[in-house]
Amino acid sequence: MAWRKASICGVGQSRQGKLPEETPVTLAAEALRNALEDSGIHKSEIDGLMTLPGTASPEAAKNYLVLGERLGINPRFTGSLVMGGATAGACVELAAMAVQNGMAKVVACIFADTARTAGNKFGAAAGGEDTWAVWGMLGNAANSALGMRRHMALYGTRSDQLGWIAVTCRRHAAMNPNAVMREPITLEDHQKSRLIVDPLHMLDCCLISDGAVCILVTSPERARDCRKKPVAILGMGQGHTMENLRTRDWWYLPHQAQCIAAAYKMAGVGAADIDVAQLYDNFTVAVLFWLEHAGFCKTGEAGPYVEGGTRIALGGDGVPINTAGGNLSESYMQGWLHMVEGVRQVRGECGPRQVTDAEICLVTGRGMTLNTASAMILGQ
Amino acid sequence: MSTSTNAPPADPQPIKPAISEINKPFWDGCRAHKLMAQRCTHCQEPRYPVAAVCPNCLSTGYEWRELSGRGELFSYIIVHRGYHPYWAQRVPYNVAFIELEEGLRMFSNIVGTPNEELRVGQKVKVAYEERSADLVVPVFEVVKEALD
Repeated sequence: MAWRKASICGVGQSRQGKLPEETPVTLAAEALRNALEDSGIHKSEIDGLMTLPGTASPEAAKNYLVLGERLGINPRFTGSLVMGGATAGACVELAAMAVQNGMAKVVACIFADTARTAGNKFGAAAGGEDTWAVWGMLGNAANSALGMRRHMALYGTRSDQLGWIAVTCRRHAAMNPNAVMREPITLEDHQKSRLIVDPLHMLDCCLISDGAVCILVTSPERARDCRKKPVAILGMGQGHTMENLRTRDWWYLPHQAQCIAAAYKMAGVGAADIDVAQLYDNFTVAVLFWLEHAGFCKTGEAGPYVEGGTRIALGGDGVPINTAGGNLSESYMQGWLHMVEGVRQVRGECGPRQVTDAEICLVTGRGMTLNTASAMILGQ
Repeated sequence: MSTSTNAPPADPQPIKPAISEINKPFWDGCRAHKLMAQRCTHCQEPRYPVAAVCPNCLSTGYEWRELSGRGELFSYIIVHRGYHPYWAQRVPYNVAFIELEEGLRMFSNIVGTPNEELRVGQKVKVAYEERSADLVVPVFEVVKEALD
């Protein structure tokens, strides 16, 4: 039996890309307005607020105070979570639990950032006092590249196989009018793009974007009276590996498999039931790993699985992934737009990129030094 | 002493650890060409990264032991992008993820082998690189196969 104790009743996003005239607050307002319009809910009904502080919000974990004040929300339930790309899922999960338990009626989950305009390179290092930067282990690409290298060594996975993920996501973005990058790319473009952190090329890396996203969570009863078809939360899961160095298979991110397994169990579904998947793609290799963690293919087999793109593409013979283009091509909203696209696919409102009979969607997120992960199963 | 404002920029300083009472023996060990790690005096578990509390049994008691310095190249990357002035002058450079014989894993760099010749699974042993007057960093060399 699926969970179904809370629903997503509205989604909204701001314009995306490079928006130097905007601030995180103005973008958050734009996304919130659009989500309210999408749902037909009035702002006065919002009594919960969950946020992910953007990289351009210096107040960091006090982001909920800033957004609450600027957007005129005095919530009964609130907080900011800092779990990188896993935060979208984690915020919605907490919102869903708050709704289930009567602690809030409508929770607005919001992320807003101007990382592009701020020139953020996402080049920080982990390691605390003995910072990994002593050895040049800097930037988000490095962590993902390290896992890819070992996957290559153990299973014979190749860079050109990653290329199929980049090419396919760009093809999907071309069908999304909201996507920042819609120009088609070829496998050759991928292979010829400059190396950032070998084995990752530039076209293996996500965009850096300005923008905002808002997701409204409410009870199934309230959702029924909203403007759009309600989308039920069927299952939720999290998994985390905090001890990067002490965990021998940290590079393979075992917590990602755990969070999906938890979400499948709660939803009463398995890999074969997933019609469409929005898999967090800070780098192409992230998709490669998720495909194995989600059970769409076996451990070590994701390289051949993505080759040619047919199994991950719209209209192909597998589970279409990142149908809006993902972080790689739509916009880097740290996975928040993955949740939005999941909702839109289940509603059936995606036009040319709509997956036929999309009833069940898997949405995943991962972040920090690849030690956090969240998964959700959305359904009709 | 006066300094010219027109002087060319100095070679950027290497990135240094923040030395505390807890990690000082590790870095002092590097200066003496010894790779040191804590061992919990309660549960006997060797530990790295350096930490005040044993993440296994939560004891604060520990002693310092010298490690063999031998291990394996668990994974590695070649960084082409300069995220920091010191490293920007050294691209492309390798970052190695080393698994030591004692089961501990650490980040490091491989010296003495061209980046193209690195392979996951290569046997490595510790070496030491003086990066500044007060910083000696543990790096690793690939152990050449013995000739039969």
